[in-house]
Amino acid sequence: MKKAIGDNMIPREWGLERGLELIKQAGYDGIELWLGDVPWFQMATSDSDVRALRRNVENAGLVVSNVSTGLHWATPLSARDPAARAQATRIVERQIETAVMLGTDAVLVVAGLVTEEVPYNEVYQRCLEALQPLGDKAARAGVKIGCENCNSEQRFLISPREFSQFLTDVGRPAVGIHLDVGNIHDTGFAEQWIELHGPRITRIHLKDVLKHRGRCGDQSVYTNLFLGDNNWPAIRAALTKVRYDGWLVAEMEARYRYAPDQQFYDTAQAMDRFIAGRL
Amino acid sequence: MHRRTFLSYTAGVVTLPSWIDVPQRSRIELLDLEDNCCLRESVAGYSGVLADVGRAARRSVLIVPAAARIPAPPMRTIVHSLQAGAVVILESGTGFASEQDFRAHRDALRDSLAVRVSALVQLWPRRTPYVDYSWPHAAKLRDFSRVIPLDQPTGETIGFADGQPVALRRQVGRGTLIFLGSPLGPALWAGDADAKRWLLDVVRS
Repeated sequence: MKKAIGDNMIPREWGLERGLELIKQAGYDGIELWLGDVPWFQMATSDSDVRALRRNVENAGLVVSNVSTGLHWATPLSARDPAARAQATRIVERQIETAVMLGTDAVLVVAGLVTEEVPYNEVYQRCLEALQPLGDKAARAGVKIGCENCNSEQRFLISPREFSQFLTDVGRPAVGIHLDVGNIHDTGFAEQWIELHGPRITRIHLKDVLKHRGRCGDQSVYTNLFLGDNNWPAIRAALTKVRYDGWLVAEMEARYRYAPDQQFYDTAQAMDRFIAGRL
Repeated sequence: MHRRTFLSYTAGVVTLPSWIDVPQRSRIELLDLEDNCCLRESVAGYSGVLADVGRAARRSVLIVPAAARIPAPPMRTIVHSLQAGAVVILESGTGFASEQDFRAHRDALRDSLAVRVSALVQLWPRRTPYVDYSWPHAAKLRDFSRVIPLDQPTGETIGFADGQPVALRRQVGRGTLIFLGSPLGPALWAGDADAKRWLLDVVRS
């Protein structure tokens, strides 16, 4: 397995170049690029600038692990407004296009967002209708779309079987799950999600979770690796069981208040131990 | 551009499937305004229940989903259908249209059907997600975020959202006009059983 961390973790005042240097020094193999979340990678970033971004990454001795985005939180594929949905679709298309340019084969999509206003059944239907043609487009590009399990935040596809049925209903091999082991909170167990989804897993997000906090409080439910309630030996064993040998991508919500670079080193070392199974 | 989909004719154009009990000379029609339809999923929603509408209907039915601009030819179809005694379900989709399209929609409703509507209202945030219908049976059906309200409540009003009249039933000629300022088609498309039950009661009435 290979280690990556998101470019949205790079302190803003550092800039990309210094951030890439830090990521390499800390021992990562790759970087997850967040479309729309960082100044160097926006929807308006030209193709030539995307290719230059790839060169910068590779010159630092890294590769791009995958293309993610947080843009779908504001503009979901499940929006009622057709104009918003068209924009959401365009975001995924741009992720696919840039993934090819950046030399990676996976994108992360937050598939739908259930709210008080937009109910579950609508979200389910719209996501199916959006992801089927996008899955075809991704397949043609040699890219996989990983729908992330943002269980609590999305209020959508809360259980692993529900998520599996959704992927079956989408019915496109290029559409799988970008499985975040920190997102399952108190509604289940990450190792069971891994076992159930197996070959449909496109990438793994790593973070730990404080299950007793829930998501409704004013404190983050997420924490650094090994500080929370995830059963890391069980998660590691499940990955072995399903023969997952792909990217592990660190996604830390809480940042170090001081010495922010230290979080990169600490996380990389924790990931090394996780990969080695020294738990 | 618009497209008319007929479920059934008894005039000999389309053979009536034997399992659909539609009275003689009735027809069930979906009038798709295409470029002037704001919500394709509304068309899909009504299309998906059209056979059930055919079974339930006692008269001819014309459904116009998520209308924005209503050009003269489809408006003539609406008016002629009403004069001929049909139930016409005219759903406004202009909550998702441009301001110009809304104005054209408003003017067409006023000039051809004497239905007066007010500007778009964004319902959310709100306390409950429902439109309250009083006819043909009391029903709470999901709103669709934006409504085109009628300019004032009257005895013809059959639906309210946050106290605003958003649906009416009016006798026009021999027919019945049902105006929906809150789209129902997307709920049908999403499989909302209450929305379907309400629609079938409308065409049954």
